[in-house]
Amino acid sequence: MTGRLALNGFVALVAAFLVLPILAIVPVAFSAQSFIRLPPENWSLRWWGAFFNDASWRLTLLASLKVATLTTLTSVIAGTAAAFGIARSGPRGRALLTGLFLGPVMTPTIVLAVALYSMARATGLVGTATALVIAHTMLALPFVVLTVGVSLDGLDRRLLLAAAGLGAGSSRIFRTVTLPLIAPGVAGGAVFAFVTSFDEVVLSIFLAGPTVKTLPVRIWEEIRLEYTPVVAVGATLMLLLALSAAGATRLLSRK
Amino acid sequence: MSPVAYRMGVAALLAPGVLIAVFAFLLPLARLIGLSFSSPSGPFVAYAQLLGDDIYARVFANTFAIAGVVTVAALVIAFPVAFALTRLSRPWRGIVFACVLLPLWISVLVRTFSWMLLLERNGPINRLVVASGLSDQPLALLFNHTAVLIGMVHVLLPYAVLPIYAALVRIDPGLLRASQGLGASGLTTFLRVLLPLSLRGVATAATFTFLLSLGFFVTPALLGGPSSLTLSMLIDGFVSERLDWPLASAASVVLLMAALVVVVVAGRFVSVGAIAKVHQ
Repeated sequence: MTGRLALNGFVALVAAFLVLPILAIVPVAFSAQSFIRLPPENWSLRWWGAFFNDASWRLTLLASLKVATLTTLTSVIAGTAAAFGIARSGPRGRALLTGLFLGPVMTPTIVLAVALYSMARATGLVGTATALVIAHTMLALPFVVLTVGVSLDGLDRRLLLAAAGLGAGSSRIFRTVTLPLIAPGVAGGAVFAFVTSFDEVVLSIFLAGPTVKTLPVRIWEEIRLEYTPVVAVGATLMLLLALSAAGATRLLSRK
Repeated sequence: MSPVAYRMGVAALLAPGVLIAVFAFLLPLARLIGLSFSSPSGPFVAYAQLLGDDIYARVFANTFAIAGVVTVAALVIAFPVAFALTRLSRPWRGIVFACVLLPLWISVLVRTFSWMLLLERNGPINRLVVASGLSDQPLALLFNHTAVLIGMVHVLLPYAVLPIYAALVRIDPGLLRASQGLGASGLTTFLRVLLPLSLRGVATAATFTFLLSLGFFVTPALLGGPSSLTLSMLIDGFVSERLDWPLASAASVVLLMAALVVVVVAGRFVSVGAIAKVHQ
């Protein structure tokens, strides 16, 4: 049984390696010093005050929330419609469309970033929220198409036939049968789209500008130069949002 | 509904998504490929510059070497974890699964920043090293190859664990008991039963980690030093510092082709599209 003990010990170590390092930013955000020391010698909320009293940091948080909300809206609408379209396509159309939508997932992010940057320069969209929303929607779309597609595949066709047999029209069937049944898939896709946008760095570094700068872009710029614990506050906010999103999907999948 | 009306309905459903994929993915890529041949001194000059220079050759080699080492390290760590996941009982299984899945939700930037704080000259790891007497001076843990490898393995490990787990969980546990009952050692059982039966999962895991490693940008850019330059950092430098679009585009096309080769070669054995499903 020593083998089993060794295996469990190894797994415990790996689990700790996966999760614990991420938490390193949290104590730094509550530091009282003006330099970074982990763990801090004295604790305070001064850097949280510094973050929220600084209009430029507040604006990055607002820009992130705005871009992520718009990205969620566009990718959920376009992705859900596309999932319905794919389900109604022939086998060749399906393969082609799946390839098209999954393309961005398999393309190196830096290549997507440089390609979009050159396109945004040509169209004068660099530094606009529009460019960020379009880029993030392109990244989030495959995940929405996939989650909604899975719920559509799991849909019991007999329920639709029963509703039709009972005299419901196609729009009524959609509203009262199809939509409630695929709602958890759509909601899961929405949460994922929001997080994809809120977490995104590489495309945003190239597409953001002085007027529209998201939180990850500001954090990126700061940690490449000299930084204070206020950056850890920004990173902790990103961590909190990601954890709430993970919690939300868990609740959704439990229903 | 007539077949024409049905087709038009399907086309309308697909239109918004296809428009986004065309205008934000296909056209920008096409433009990039075009730009890579747009050097004022001739269409292939950027490629010749890129492939003829020793410094760039080292960056290519470095990118592939890092991707290779990260992939092997991730597989070696992931296999036992995936195996344990098939064996663990109720509460522990859920806990280990949560530890594997949770990091996928958190931005690569946040995870990399954490490693910067941990590996710093005056960071907790170095203070532990000095306090324990392992070294009388803080070690240079940050801004080098080791930091890049640690950070990348940390970010990519979940992508290796999940496909291997998916393959292992389908193996009939009776086969392992039979192998042991027939007197095979643990190593023989691993090499002749477990590994061959989970090879598809291991190959999928290797493809994911290698593919993602090749294009990794944030982690090597923040944790690496001047000697750990990768292709993605080179591309960023061409665009942001040298403003050399032909060179930046040519380097991007080379990276894209490398990724494409991995996808096509691996696609013969594994379903590469499943990479998106890891996130679900």
